[in-house]
Amino acid sequence: MANLKDVLVIGAGLAGLTAAWQAAGPDKKVQVLAKGWGATHWHSGCIDLLGYWPLDADAAVTNPLQAIAQLIQEKPQHPYALTGLDNIVAALSAFQDLCAEAGYPLEGTPEKNWLLPTAVGTFRPTCLAPQTMTAGDLSSDAAMLLVGFKQFVDFYPHVAADNLTQQGIPAEYVMLDLPALARQHRLTSVVLANMMEQAAFRQEVAQALKPKLGTAARVGFPAVLGLREATAVWQAMSDLLERPVFEIPTLPPSVAGIRLHHILRDAIQAEGGWVFDGMEAVGAEKDGGRVTAVFTETAARNRAHRAENYVLSTGGILGGGIYASYQGGVKEVVFDLPVNAPDNHLDWFHTDFMDKRGHPIYQTGISVNEQFQPVNGSEQPLLSNLFAAGTTLAHCEPIQERSFEGIALVTGYVAGRLAV
Amino acid sequence: MTFNIWGAQTDIELMPHRPAEASLDECIKCNICVTACPVTAVTDLFPGPKYEGPQAARFRQGQQETPDYSVDYCSGCRVCNMVCPNGVRIAEMNARARATIVEQDKVPLKHKVRNNLIARPETLGKLGQPVYPISNFLLGSGFGRYFADLFFDIAPKAALPGYASEKFSKWAKKHEKPAQAQRKVVYFHGCSTEYYEPRVGKAAVHVLEANGFEVLIPPQNCCGLPLLSNGEFDAAQKYHESNIKKLIDYVKQGYVIVGTSTSCTLTLKEEAPELLSFYTDDAMLLAGNTFDFNEFLVHLLDAGELRTADLRPIPLTLAYHPPCQYRAHRIGFPALEVLDLIPELTIIKSEAACCGVGGTYGYKAEKYEISMEVGRPLFEFVHEVNGPVAVCDSETCRWHIAGATGVPNVHPVELLAAAYGYEVEGPLADVLR
Repeated sequence: MANLKDVLVIGAGLAGLTAAWQAAGPDKKVQVLAKGWGATHWHSGCIDLLGYWPLDADAAVTNPLQAIAQLIQEKPQHPYALTGLDNIVAALSAFQDLCAEAGYPLEGTPEKNWLLPTAVGTFRPTCLAPQTMTAGDLSSDAAMLLVGFKQFVDFYPHVAADNLTQQGIPAEYVMLDLPALARQHRLTSVVLANMMEQAAFRQEVAQALKPKLGTAARVGFPAVLGLREATAVWQAMSDLLERPVFEIPTLPPSVAGIRLHHILRDAIQAEGGWVFDGMEAVGAEKDGGRVTAVFTETAARNRAHRAENYVLSTGGILGGGIYASYQGGVKEVVFDLPVNAPDNHLDWFHTDFMDKRGHPIYQTGISVNEQFQPVNGSEQPLLSNLFAAGTTLAHCEPIQERSFEGIALVTGYVAGRLAV
Repeated sequence: MTFNIWGAQTDIELMPHRPAEASLDECIKCNICVTACPVTAVTDLFPGPKYEGPQAARFRQGQQETPDYSVDYCSGCRVCNMVCPNGVRIAEMNARARATIVEQDKVPLKHKVRNNLIARPETLGKLGQPVYPISNFLLGSGFGRYFADLFFDIAPKAALPGYASEKFSKWAKKHEKPAQAQRKVVYFHGCSTEYYEPRVGKAAVHVLEANGFEVLIPPQNCCGLPLLSNGEFDAAQKYHESNIKKLIDYVKQGYVIVGTSTSCTLTLKEEAPELLSFYTDDAMLLAGNTFDFNEFLVHLLDAGELRTADLRPIPLTLAYHPPCQYRAHRIGFPALEVLDLIPELTIIKSEAACCGVGGTYGYKAEKYEISMEVGRPLFEFVHEVNGPVAVCDSETCRWHIAGATGVPNVHPVELLAAAYGYEVEGPLADVLR
C-alpha cells in the first residue's frame, strides 16, 4: 500500500479533531473523515468538564476536578475514570495553550466552574470559557444590558433579561435595528460575526448602544463578536462601550463552537493532516483482530481508507455513531462493535421524562479498556488497532452531567496519543 | 467491494434506492446548512437550504402546486449536503423541486428559452465551433453580449468561454497511440474539452498514456448536467440514455470510464440516476464504473501503480479551488493528493465555499450579481496567493474565476502532464516557458 496513513480518525466533533491534532506530526500522516459538521457547531464553545454530580444534586458543581475524583470512586467505568485526573488536567492545559496561541484564550482552571448565562437567561456551569464570555459570570450581580439584533431572529434578549432579573441579576435589553443590517430580513450568526469584524460596523453598533447603556455595568451580546478575530472584536467592543462586554452562546449553529472547529482544523492542517468533509464511514474490513480498512460512501461506490491505526469518534445516538431503531435495536454503525445498551426496549427510559438522572438509553455506547480499545466483557481488545473516544463511549451521561465537551476533549486527547 | 483499478466491476450490487425527499425526516432543524449556505449569506432571495429543502419538500407532495419559486435560487453547490450532520439530500431535493416548477410551466418564457439555450453546450458547440472566428467575435463583442442580455437575460459581464479552433475528438483521431499499452481505459471528455478547451483532454490522454494505458475515446454526448440543473429533466434523460448506449459495451468489455470534468463524471455516477430516478441495470453499471480523473489516479496511487518516480519539478505556488462537484462525489480532495506528488509545486487550497457560478447559474442576468458576491472570498484568495495561474477541476468554475480575477485557470491534469514532461498548451505553457 503506497498510500497508507498512520492514523485515520472517523468523526470530526471535538473528540475526533482533538485526537487528530494530538496524533498529527511532521512524520505522522493523519486523516479525519467527517460525515458532516456536527458537535462543534452545536456546542457552546465552552468546555463543560462536570456541571452536576451526583446527577440529582440541586446545586451545580463548583470544583469539577474534586467532583470528578468522587465520580471516579462511584463509577469506575466512566471515561474520566479511564483517563485519570492527570490526563484531564493535561488535556485541558494543552487545549488552553493551543487556543491561546491561536489568539483566542480560554479562561478557567479544572478546579473552578464559571456560572455563565444561557441564551434564555438560565445559569450554566462550565469549566473553560473564552475570554469573550467570562465577564458574564453570574457569581457577580453587576447589572447588565443584553443586546439583540432585529435581523438575527434566533436570539431573544428580552427573554434572557427577564429570566436573569427574576433570579437576582438586574438585566435590561435592547433590540438594535441598524441600517447596515437592513440589506436582509434575516441574518445568520456567521454573517453577523463576519460583519462584526469590520470596524465601521462596530462603530455603528456602539453609536446605537451608547444612549441605551443606562446603569449597565456590563453588556452582553449573542456570541457573534467575530469569527476568526473574536478576541480583537471583543476587545474593540469593550473599548468602544467603556465597560466589560461578554458573549452568550446562541442556538446552533454556534459561532463560538465554530471558532474551536477552526482552531483545531488549522492545527491539524499545520501538521500536514487532512480533514475530509462530507464523507460518511459506512463499514470496515477486519482481518486477524485488526482493522484493515474503513469504507466511506461516495457517489456510485464505496472508497477504502487504510491506516495503521484508527480512532472511532462518531458520537452516540445523537451524533450518529450509534443507530437506535424504533424496534429497540442498537447498532454501532462503522465496525458493528458490541454496544452497551439496555436489553429490553422498555428499559430505555425512566418514567419521568425530565428525570435528572437522564435515561438509561443515554448511557448507550462502546465499552473500552484503559487503552481506549473497544472491549466486550474482558480487558482484551476486540480490534488491536482501534481506539474510541468521545460520546460514543458508554458509562457516561454527558448531557445530564454537563460533561459533553470535557469527555470529548479528554478522551480525544488520550486516544489520539495512544493511536500513534 | 474491491477494485482491479483499471478493470470494470461488472457485478455491481444494486442497492435499494430511495428518493432524495425521503431523507427529509432526518433533518433535525439545526440550521448548520443555513449558516454555511453561500447564497443565503448574500441574498434574501434564497432563504436557506433548510427552508427550501426538507421543510418546503413536505408541501411538494403529489401533484400539488409547487409552493415556493425561490428554490430556483439554489446554485446547487451542495455545501448544505456536505455540512449536514444527518445526511439529508438537500441539493437533490432542490433540483427536483426546480424540475417540478419547469414541469408545471411556471418559468417565464424568456428564461425558459434562455435556460434551454445555455444548458445545451453540445448544441452550442456544434453550431459555434465550426465557425469559431465568427462565434468568438460575437461572444467577445459588447454588441453580441448586449443582444444576448436583451433577448435572453444572459448577464453581459459573465465570463463565456471561447471556442477552440480544433475539436478535441478531431485531434484524438490524429493522435498516435503508444505501441505497447498493457491496459485500456475510456476517456469521457465532455463538452468543455471537446469544443472549448481541448488542451485539458490532450493533457489527460498524455497522463494516461504515461501510465501505460491505451486511451479509448468513443463517440459521446453531453452528460446532461446543465439540463438537470435547469430542471429540464426530459431532455437530460435523453442525453443520459444516449450516453449509456454509447458507453455501456466498453464497460461490459471490462473498461472503466474516466473524465476530467468533475460535473460530467458526477452526472454519470450519481446525478442522472438519482435526480431522474433512472435506476436501470445499465445505468448503474455505468455509474459504478465511472471515475473522476483524479479519483482514478488516487486509486492507482493507492495500489502503487501510478508513475511517480520521474516527475519534473514545477517551482510554482498556486491557488487550488476544489470545485463544488467534489462535494457530491464525496471522495475528498483527490487532486491535492495527486498534485502533492509534483516536486517543488506548492498548492494552497482555497477554503472558500463556492466560486459562485453554479454551472449556468452565474450566466443568468438575475443571478449574476449573487454569483459574484458568493465568489468574492475566493477571488480575494486567488489574488492573495498571486500565482501566475490558478487551479480548478471544473470548467465553468475555471472560466468564472478567471473572468472575475483576471488570473488564467488550469485543470490539475495539465500540471501533472507537464510534470511528466509533456508540452502543455494554453496559459500553463506560457508560465512554464
